[in-house]
Amino acid sequence: MTSKFLDERVYEPGDVIFKEGDTSTEMFILQEGKVVITKDVAGHDVFLAMLERGDFFGEMALLDSQPRHATCSALVRTRVVAIKSGELLMKLRRDPTFALEMLQTMIRRIRYLDQQLVELMQDALPSRSQLDKLIAKSEYLNEGRK
Amino acid sequence: MITDVREDRLIVTSDTHIGSFFSNARPGLVRLLDYARAEGYNVCINGDGIDVLHSSLTKMTVEASALLPELRRIAERITIYYTIGNHDIILEHYMGDWGGIRLTPFLNVRSGARRIRVEHGHLYDPFLMKHPDLQPALTRFIGWCCRAYPPWYELEERIKHVRYRDIPRLFGRRNVTQSGIERPDENPAFFEAAEEIAQRAFDAVVFGHTHHPGVMPLGGNGAVYVNTGAWSRHPHYAVINDGEIELKPWNG
Repeated sequence: MTSKFLDERVYEPGDVIFKEGDTSTEMFILQEGKVVITKDVAGHDVFLAMLERGDFFGEMALLDSQPRHATCSALVRTRVVAIKSGELLMKLRRDPTFALEMLQTMIRRIRYLDQQLVELMQDALPSRSQLDKLIAKSEYLNEGRK
Repeated sequence: MITDVREDRLIVTSDTHIGSFFSNARPGLVRLLDYARAEGYNVCINGDGIDVLHSSLTKMTVEASALLPELRRIAERITIYYTIGNHDIILEHYMGDWGGIRLTPFLNVRSGARRIRVEHGHLYDPFLMKHPDLQPALTRFIGWCCRAYPPWYELEERIKHVRYRDIPRLFGRRNVTQSGIERPDENPAFFEAAEEIAQRAFDAVVFGHTHHPGVMPLGGNGAVYVNTGAWSRHPHYAVINDGEIELKPWNG
């Protein structure tokens, strides 16, 4: 709970916590404040989500070691706890329900993205050949199981 | 499985162990639920509400047939959550809605501007963590010991006092958690687990399981640990009003 045991960080409004393309791999738990997640699309910042106290973020880079997928900035004065990749397993061992909550959060995101995809496809239904291409692309999902 | 809820008025109790050879908590629990209904509180039974390990089929049938209609009657008017403990772990098969009662592994409660974690706590019991396969058999064995020799439970409690209070005192040690908070006379694993959970921006962590009711601070950010104890000794309940949490004895 106290700062001597945790990697606590404080950000002022507008501070960037991580930037799209960064190679940092910590994840963060929001202790106080609000953060906004945005993504650069053709030179414009597109709003993805706003997170509040108790939410966590940055776990994608921690879990797959890929560069940051989006930019995260503090909306107000914000305090976070950082969990480094070498600390996640210990955290899960000491706090096992955190893994369940991470899964629940990711499921909510997948549902949201699925819904967004369906709405986009309703606006412009793809042709059979476009669908075939999409299905061919999605085969990467099964590669890990082969 | 619903684990995130918004509840501005919630009552939490635990460890009634209904169905156990040693429990006569059923009428009192029904009175607490009726009180909650009358006062407009929803209720969370925080684990070990029923006890399938210290029970027999006959005892459980008698108790369950009396309790379930009461729960259903009250659940028509208020929400009853039931977080699963170790003496009722079989209920994991019914996770979700179970006759109007919402079964869940834990609850993250938003109340007022605060976040409160409600969980039975058995996941942090060092013995259960190391030997989950032995737990049902050993719990049944302790149940038989208690039936054969009723002071057994008090003896077990006495051993805990000696181990966690008297021996450290003998060597001039203070029992403190990692963040320097002095802890009562029980296994530090529960406070350390509560501190770990509280790091995720919880203002209070409510456990049962240890049968030791009490409230203690958890460290830097003003979070508190609350334990609602057990009905076999001194029934308690935690009452949450707009995020404010208070532990009270139940005399009803």
